[in-house]
Amino acid sequence: MPYVIAGPCIDVNDKACMDECPVDCIYEGERKSYINPKECIDCGACEPVCPVEAITQDRRVPEDMTVFIEDNRSFFLEVLPGRDAPLGAPGGSRKVGVVGVDTPLVDDWEG
Amino acid sequence: MTDLDVDLLLVGAGPVGLYGAYYAGVRGLRTAVVDSLQEPGGQVTAMYPEKPIFDVAGFPSVLGRELVAGLVSQAAQYSPRYLLGDPAVSLSRQDDGRQLVRTASGTTMRCGAVVITGGIGTFTPRPLPAGEEFLGRGLAYFVPRLTDYAGLDVVIVGGGDSACDWTLALLPIARSVTLVHRRTAFRAHAATVAAVQASDATVVTDAELSAVLGAGSVDAVEVTVKGEPPRTLPCQAVVAALGFLADLGPMREWGLELHDNRHLVVDTRMRTSLPGVYAAGDITDYDGKVRLISVGFGEVATAVNNAAVDLDPGAQLFPGHSTDSTPAPVPVA
Repeated sequence: MPYVIAGPCIDVNDKACMDECPVDCIYEGERKSYINPKECIDCGACEPVCPVEAITQDRRVPEDMTVFIEDNRSFFLEVLPGRDAPLGAPGGSRKVGVVGVDTPLVDDWEG
Repeated sequence: MTDLDVDLLLVGAGPVGLYGAYYAGVRGLRTAVVDSLQEPGGQVTAMYPEKPIFDVAGFPSVLGRELVAGLVSQAAQYSPRYLLGDPAVSLSRQDDGRQLVRTASGTTMRCGAVVITGGIGTFTPRPLPAGEEFLGRGLAYFVPRLTDYAGLDVVIVGGGDSACDWTLALLPIARSVTLVHRRTAFRAHAATVAAVQASDATVVTDAELSAVLGAGSVDAVEVTVKGEPPRTLPCQAVVAALGFLADLGPMREWGLELHDNRHLVVDTRMRTSLPGVYAAGDITDYDGKVRLISVGFGEVATAVNNAAVDLDPGAQLFPGHSTDSTPAPVPVA
């Protein structure tokens, strides 16, 4: 159900979406940002403001980008470099600040 | 001191809360609805008043604001009390089993039962990152009275309808109006944006309000256009219209069983973990929950009818069909 930020965000990381999200569920990595699937309310406010059209609903992610559906989830469920616990559902990116690291997929992404 | 005494209080005036107010009226309950926003309609009013909604039963397509207007008028036949722009901040159960709810402004309400229709939580204005300490000293998130800005140099921050509407509304009153927006594209209605651009307002895009300056109150702001050095703009008032953030907020402290720290766990009667406190709509959670307006409408009918039995154990759970007779308005004390 949630929205997903896919590959076009990498190294752009414009963050216009973060200004729109009413539940503050978009978290900033190093090369891109990530939508917390547990916190996203599926409102779609982020989608039209993305300058590189990186955001879509999970069931509409372009075929060559579907890997990012799971990857957005992993950002919150896996332990990221430099942390000792997964981010989980912290209840807002303003509480967490810039996470500043990426998932291995994004870290190694060559585009 | 109790300011309001009702049978049933709905916490949240979104579509589900409004429909709950109608149903509480059908059950003959004295009803009140409380909400943090100034207008009824909750998320629909705050976020998509102009968006067509296609999945409300019986309406192939209905605009958000039309749906809200319809719900308000459907409930109005029973004259529910509305407390808007004043979030409920505390809930406690009294010795006599009644609930005591207090709002941010200090209004207290005693009620037999509470139905929480709080959706994604309390909406609060998104704070202006630079200069939040000037709130109330020249910085505001709303324009309640245009005349407060008479003769002032006003800087408005934002790119949505509120920012553009306030720009146009303040122009004839203020000495000058400058609209600062982080992007080049505005989210407001195209016609409003065109009106702003044709107006005497100074529009600065691709720019951030990087600092608010002043000793006691606002004297000036620092505006930074992307790729340029910051410049100082004298002004006496700043209106930050950056949209809303929603959060469960004080409700987290009410002792309700939460799921994922954001949803209220309910049973098949829509009872929460607290006696006399029900919930309905996007805020509830149970196995198989689907978060849609239509589901919320059903849940709130369940919640209110079960609460009606709670309040009067002799009453029947089933309210009867609305087609049985023309509903008669019930006077509200």
